[in-house]
Amino acid sequence: MATLEMKNVTKQFGRKVIAVKDFNLEVADREFLVLLGPSGCGKTTAMRVVAGLEEATFGQIIIGGKDVTNLPPRKRNVSMIFQNYAVWPHMKVFDNIAFALKIKKMHPQEIEETVRRVAGMTNIDMLLDRYPSQLSGGQQQRVAVARAIAVSPDIFLMDEPLSNLDAKLRVSMRTELKAIHDKTDATTVFVTHDQSEAMSMADRIVIMRDGEVIQMGTPDDVYHRSASVFVADFIGTPPTNFLDVQVFSENGNISLKNQFIDLKLEDHYSKALDSYNNKNVILGVRPENIEITDPTKSDMAADCLVSEPQGSHQVIAIQLDKKIMKIIAPAVMKINPGQRVNLLFKQETLRFFDPETTLAIEASE
Amino acid sequence: MVKKPVKFGKLIRQTIFYLFITFLAMVILLPTYFLFSLSFMSTREAYEFPLPMAPALRVDYSMTYGKRGYLLSVFDNNEGDYQTVLDTNDLEKMSEYMRYQLGAPMSILEIEEHVKLLESGTDPVKFTGKRNLWLNYGTFFSITRNAVPALIRSLQIAAMTIGISLTIGGLAGYAFARYVFAGRDALKFSVLFVRIFPGVAIAMPMVIFLADLGFYDRPIGLSLVYSIGSIALTIWITASIFLGIPVSLEEAAVVFGATKFRAFLKITLPLALPGLAAAAMYTFLGAWNETVSAIILTQFNPTFSVVVYQSLLGSVGQVNLAAAGGLVMALPSVIFTFFIRRYINQMWGGVTI
Amino acid sequence: MQAAAQVKPKQKIWKKLTPYLLILPVVIYYAIFWLRPVLTTIVNSFRDASGAFTFDNYLMVFAERDFIPALRNTAIIVVFSVTLEFLLALFLALLINRKFTGSTVFLFLAMIPMALPAVASGAMWLTGLTSHGWINSLLFHLGFEHKIYWLAGSEASLLALLIVIDAWTVIPSVMIILLAGLQNIPKEVEEAGYVFGGDYLTVLRKIVIPILNPTIQTAVILRLISAIQIWLVIVLLVGFSRLPVLVERIVYYHEEMSGLNISYQMATGYTIIVTVIVSIVALFYLRVSGAFGKSKEAK
Repeated sequence: MATLEMKNVTKQFGRKVIAVKDFNLEVADREFLVLLGPSGCGKTTAMRVVAGLEEATFGQIIIGGKDVTNLPPRKRNVSMIFQNYAVWPHMKVFDNIAFALKIKKMHPQEIEETVRRVAGMTNIDMLLDRYPSQLSGGQQQRVAVARAIAVSPDIFLMDEPLSNLDAKLRVSMRTELKAIHDKTDATTVFVTHDQSEAMSMADRIVIMRDGEVIQMGTPDDVYHRSASVFVADFIGTPPTNFLDVQVFSENGNISLKNQFIDLKLEDHYSKALDSYNNKNVILGVRPENIEITDPTKSDMAADCLVSEPQGSHQVIAIQLDKKIMKIIAPAVMKINPGQRVNLLFKQETLRFFDPETTLAIEASE
Repeated sequence: MVKKPVKFGKLIRQTIFYLFITFLAMVILLPTYFLFSLSFMSTREAYEFPLPMAPALRVDYSMTYGKRGYLLSVFDNNEGDYQTVLDTNDLEKMSEYMRYQLGAPMSILEIEEHVKLLESGTDPVKFTGKRNLWLNYGTFFSITRNAVPALIRSLQIAAMTIGISLTIGGLAGYAFARYVFAGRDALKFSVLFVRIFPGVAIAMPMVIFLADLGFYDRPIGLSLVYSIGSIALTIWITASIFLGIPVSLEEAAVVFGATKFRAFLKITLPLALPGLAAAAMYTFLGAWNETVSAIILTQFNPTFSVVVYQSLLGSVGQVNLAAAGGLVMALPSVIFTFFIRRYINQMWGGVTI
Repeated sequence: MQAAAQVKPKQKIWKKLTPYLLILPVVIYYAIFWLRPVLTTIVNSFRDASGAFTFDNYLMVFAERDFIPALRNTAIIVVFSVTLEFLLALFLALLINRKFTGSTVFLFLAMIPMALPAVASGAMWLTGLTSHGWINSLLFHLGFEHKIYWLAGSEASLLALLIVIDAWTVIPSVMIILLAGLQNIPKEVEEAGYVFGGDYLTVLRKIVIPILNPTIQTAVILRLISAIQIWLVIVLLVGFSRLPVLVERIVYYHEEMSGLNISYQMATGYTIIVTVIVSIVALFYLRVSGAFGKSKEAK
């Protein structure tokens, strides 16, 4: 129940490896913030610096207005859920949860009450007398969660807590963790490499790569207004489709051309793309924003490679030269491999990226 | 590169830590250092008090006329002055003294040169002899006549012990790691129980038993006795190693048509090789270092450790020679320990009580 | 259909038999080379020179002048050695487990005492402990000019000396067992301890050491069994009968006094007594430390 501020945090290992570069972040009270990125992007390191398990090479960590940079983990009032649970094998579940409370010299009665309360919240009240080796992975994870809640920390840190669970459990635990977050009014920092997990749980997402922040924003922001090719490609299942196109500007009318497509753009992109006349840009369009229509209305046509039925919808893959483009179509549409499909792009959803910087070209209103 | 602010407190803590580590290392190695140092010292140096902290690289002489011929004095660092060591006109005796007592061999011809200088008027003549640091090692091998054959014998024995232990122990270790069978727990504890009976007490009745078999005073006899202890340890270590190799790898091989034996040969064994090598080194150490059983079970064909032992206690009795012998014996052990250290976790990490 | 059903039982038997076949060589080997001498010794301990059954051997041992001293000295050495060695080895293992720069080099250096053969070790300490040896020389260089006669002291001082020397030699082997155990504890398990309120000592006491327990038991029991049987370093330094211990008595009677008639009987008597003592201590320790039965974690 506090704010978290990371100011210019840098973490360097040895002389060469810089895991986190000049990281700046402000997490509001009760926010659910997700650090998202591929393996090795520094998200876990950043979290461990907040926890105090790693010492920041440079920078400050401020929790609830108090500078904790030089404090050991136990004095920061944070708790953590580890990827492989890290429950203590030699203690019963009850003792695992009570460990921190005993150190705080809480009254035994109070300890008992707290443990039972959090065990109830995580549905492990029946397991308090067992040892971790007698529990399944999912149950051990709940023990880790209960242990983390019991200390009523200022900040919850969760390091890929769902990665080791099977798919179905992962999805159901997502909901449970979010519910617990809401119920305990906790400020949570959640690390994951799974973008759908991030999208479904976060108030805000921080996308990281190679130790740096690429984009910070709400799920909506990173999805619909991806700041770079990397983000647009990382977020979304299936991710954004990219096309290299050449811009032609004539009397304020922009058209995009490449070997497959000749697209005439509507008004509001004209100013932004004007400066790219006769140059290439990268066009990004999400699978759900491509419609399969009849030939008269279409922007381009191609042959279907495969169709992947998903129950509620289907994903059509088409091959353009060396790339594969994916389109989300209604389940009822019958499309066979080899069949010609005609595509219409929903122009208001298009994103453009500079081919050199890979950053988004913002449409000026 | 990111600018790193120098955190002064942390730097101080780190420096103190490393100083402490260095101090610890020195305490651990101090005795070894002296053994090392002694093995290079001359006999005279070795019996000086206080013992010099490092062997000298040269000897400073002063020669003048003495009652019986020439008076030879050696510069003593402790006294800060020359000390008379020899009064003779027998140059051969002088040369021998220089070689065996001072560890600085000088030929008679060379000594004659200095004598000529003395006789031509320079009195006293001061000259320097260069120390041969390796002299003790050479002397050790030449004085203890059977050192080299003993060395070879020790190597043979070690090799045979490794062979026996790895085969017999390895099979049992594999069984322990992969199967559940009656007596599996007993096997685990057997490793302990074997040690309960004093090793010396095994060697003693073994004398007769081996003599009956014709193995007394022969390498094979010693190997058989050494293997008693090392098989048990090998079982423990190989079980640990095999437990560390996932069964699924063997199962995959079986699914693809291999027999269990072939799977073991082609998949498990290559993967276990580093750990097995370490187990072999462990066995080598045990066999190479073993002294007492060797004393009991050999007579005319001693092992190298027996030879060193005899030189320590016996007629030769010169501290610096014994040090040289001891170091020669220690060298393979230390080298192998260097290689083992990376495999410690593999060897001891799997099986516990 | 028929053929398949016929093959199965044979394969099944073969499969069940395999582990027993694998351990057969060990069992045979130990039966011949260990069980036989052990049984022979046990039997002979109850025989006198003519072969008749007797308790005399044991009575002679108990009556021997050096029996109580041997017992006492061994007990003192075992208690102090094992405790000291365990604590120092644990300290070193924890230190090395921190993986600082140069920790592998330090590990190698710390293992050197273990690598030295007993004779090299003996040479090393002997040359140090004589009145003009390197220990006194070192003290001299440091300003302490008084020669100490290390090997001429009282029994108590000799025991203390021995315990220190034994510790120097043995700590590495205990340390590497503990180190292996420590390395098997996942880092996060310890870190969780720090996050949830523990300082270094608390995490050590409440998390690391309890998890390390099986390894500790292994190391201690091996050490106990060896410590009770200490003798070589003592004989190398002060010779026989100066500081009697149990196994030294065995060697004494077998090697040094082998001319006498009763020697062999004394030797066998002592042998069995040592075996019994070691067995009792080992079983006692295993029972007390909970190695039998209490398996909370499936391994």
